[in-house]
Amino acid sequence: MSEVAERKSGEPSALPSPKPPKRVPIARRRKSMGNRITPYLFLFPGIGVFSLTILFPIVKSLQISFYKWRVLPGIPSPFLGFGNYTRALHDPIFWRALVNSGFYMLVTVPPQIILGLLAAMLLNDKIRGRGLFRILIYLPVITSWVVVTLLFLYLFSGDGGFFNWILKDLHLIHQDVQWFGSRWPAMIAMSALGIWKGIGWSMIIYLAALQTVNPELVEAAAIDGAGAVRRFFAVTIPAVRRTTTFISMMLVIGGFNVFIQVYLMTEGGPLGSTEVLLTYMYRQAFSYLDFGYGSAIAFLLTGIILVLSGVQWRFFRPSEK
Amino acid sequence: MKHSTRWGSAVAFAASVALLATGISAGSSSAATGNPVTVTFWHAYSSDGSEVKTITNILIPRFQAEHPDIIVKQVAIPYDSLHQKLLVAAAGGDLPDVVRADLAWVPELANLGVLSPLSTEMSDFKAYSQAVFPGTLATNYFKGKYYGLPLDTNTRVMFWNKAVFAKAGISKAPKTFADLKADAPKLKKIGAYLYGESGTGGWSILPWIWAGGGDITDAKYTKSSGYINSAKNIATIQMLVSMYKSGYIPNLITKNKSAIGTSDGLAKGKYATILDGPWMFPIMAGQYPNFKPTTVLVPAGLGGTSSVVGGEDVVMMSTTQQKAASLELIRYMLSTDWQLSMAKVGQMPVRKDVSAILPSIAPYYATFAEQLKTARPRIPSPNWQKIDAVLDDRLQRALNGSMTVKAALDSAAKAIDPLLAAQ
Repeated sequence: MSEVAERKSGEPSALPSPKPPKRVPIARRRKSMGNRITPYLFLFPGIGVFSLTILFPIVKSLQISFYKWRVLPGIPSPFLGFGNYTRALHDPIFWRALVNSGFYMLVTVPPQIILGLLAAMLLNDKIRGRGLFRILIYLPVITSWVVVTLLFLYLFSGDGGFFNWILKDLHLIHQDVQWFGSRWPAMIAMSALGIWKGIGWSMIIYLAALQTVNPELVEAAAIDGAGAVRRFFAVTIPAVRRTTTFISMMLVIGGFNVFIQVYLMTEGGPLGSTEVLLTYMYRQAFSYLDFGYGSAIAFLLTGIILVLSGVQWRFFRPSEK
Repeated sequence: MKHSTRWGSAVAFAASVALLATGISAGSSSAATGNPVTVTFWHAYSSDGSEVKTITNILIPRFQAEHPDIIVKQVAIPYDSLHQKLLVAAAGGDLPDVVRADLAWVPELANLGVLSPLSTEMSDFKAYSQAVFPGTLATNYFKGKYYGLPLDTNTRVMFWNKAVFAKAGISKAPKTFADLKADAPKLKKIGAYLYGESGTGGWSILPWIWAGGGDITDAKYTKSSGYINSAKNIATIQMLVSMYKSGYIPNLITKNKSAIGTSDGLAKGKYATILDGPWMFPIMAGQYPNFKPTTVLVPAGLGGTSSVVGGEDVVMMSTTQQKAASLELIRYMLSTDWQLSMAKVGQMPVRKDVSAILPSIAPYYATFAEQLKTARPRIPSPNWQKIDAVLDDRLQRALNGSMTVKAALDSAAKAIDPLLAAQ
């Protein structure tokens, strides 16, 4: 009832009372057809560019993944069906890359969520320099991946690097650690970079979410005798649940898609031990020119991420109350 | 909606489509008669080096003055990606006209059919082929034809940091493998590595293998077993592996990206010796003007001193639309003018007449000219890239200890034999 009243007061041309439909004169019919086409005309360039640069390559890669795709002129590409996919599943390097990508994701996602939330909580109060700290923590997010990768290469250098120097100073190690000389130290160094670079992003999103936490709930909990920690777990965390879902899903996708740091810091080495799915795909497609196999790896990765996203969606689904 | 707005949006739509279309087709060039033609020249000189400056400021202007109907467009592509870029361009159909290609790629590219056989396309090929060193010309030979002309040659010699050696109490540069073994611990004591090397591919390792008296194939390049895993090679590689394990060779050799590069390490005194080419002199002069590099021949093992012959050939792509203009450019690159100008910036000439006056151009060429007498070319095979990859992989495993030296070389032999047989 009130809706009708609002509509009537909002628009100068009020809706006419229901009458039997009569034939609309030609002029008005043409006008309404123009009305219908205009939005599509405006959408066309955007959708056109999107289809050309994103949709088409995706569909084409899917096609390529079913062939042993030859790039050199004049040579036919044999159809393999699921051959590239079964080859990947039997490829030990593929599984190692999957483990490495998974390790990176598992090691970088929880700290980014936890530390991002903690930073947001700390910087939610009106303390002096709050703006400055927010900027400082967010700054790594907008730096260039290439630049910070080279920087961290230096910091983790096995020959007088910064972290070796600190660890020796604290007497935690006696000899320089060759961070990039073997698999797990290298993975740790690359994960450290990933965490450092991502905390600011989750912090900013949590900051926004924390603004929506009802202060009355927090007060009520305090009155009920809940301490700061209890309030945090009972009120804050459930209140930002949706945000946590979003951040978790985005970070998992990003984690599995790790590429630049691995490509620049170890190039998958030494001897392919730190290969991740995307560097392996890149190597297959652009170094060995085996585009079919590279595309298959890319789609397998897509499948894995889809499954993981689905799992997270169910896990974080708000309980019906 | 009014008529005018509907027409307006239709016009806007048409305009945006037209703009998109012109944007896409803006790259195509017209080859109308009377207009100058453009010859695209790909090379791997570093984009900020003295070679490119010489080319763009001196040589290309001179060439264009002589040939007003030709415009030369030079494109600098990093060496590591040039080879791959050529393969991709071959697939995409947008190859350049002229390329300065590493001589190791020429058989492979000729095999793919993307090179134009200069011996048949160029009417005066014979004159140019006789003006250059026969060894350099031979790198262009594939299945009865010559697919390019040599452009520059080079080899690796040992650069040593005199000051670092003096600090360790050593007055003379190492001359033999025995000297290296003796000097290494003394250098480690003062915190310097004996020898910095950035990998274990052919270019890095072959000087050592040959100086050690071994080889990786027989003389006719048909077989690897029995040669690459010979006792002499095992001894040579074992020497390098032991040096790596003892900390005399930095882990740059296992491609650790956080390790200091060879030339930086040498100039800074972290690496006592490296192997490098004549281009290092202009580069060092620019980057480390206070460091004066000194050179000696590669230390001798049971095979005497030896090194690897490098260099580039200039090739014309078979897909070029500007054949006559490209050949003119190639002729100019083989002229005394070009060869002499490039010799001044670290590019050793292939012309016999220019090479004869090398010492007057720069004294640092003396060691390289001497080393070229005992330097040898790598395997002229279309499969060289794959052979190189096998050698590199197995030696990496020997270095990190996952394979013994003997097992690594045996495994390399097994993998390389079919690659040699398949050519």
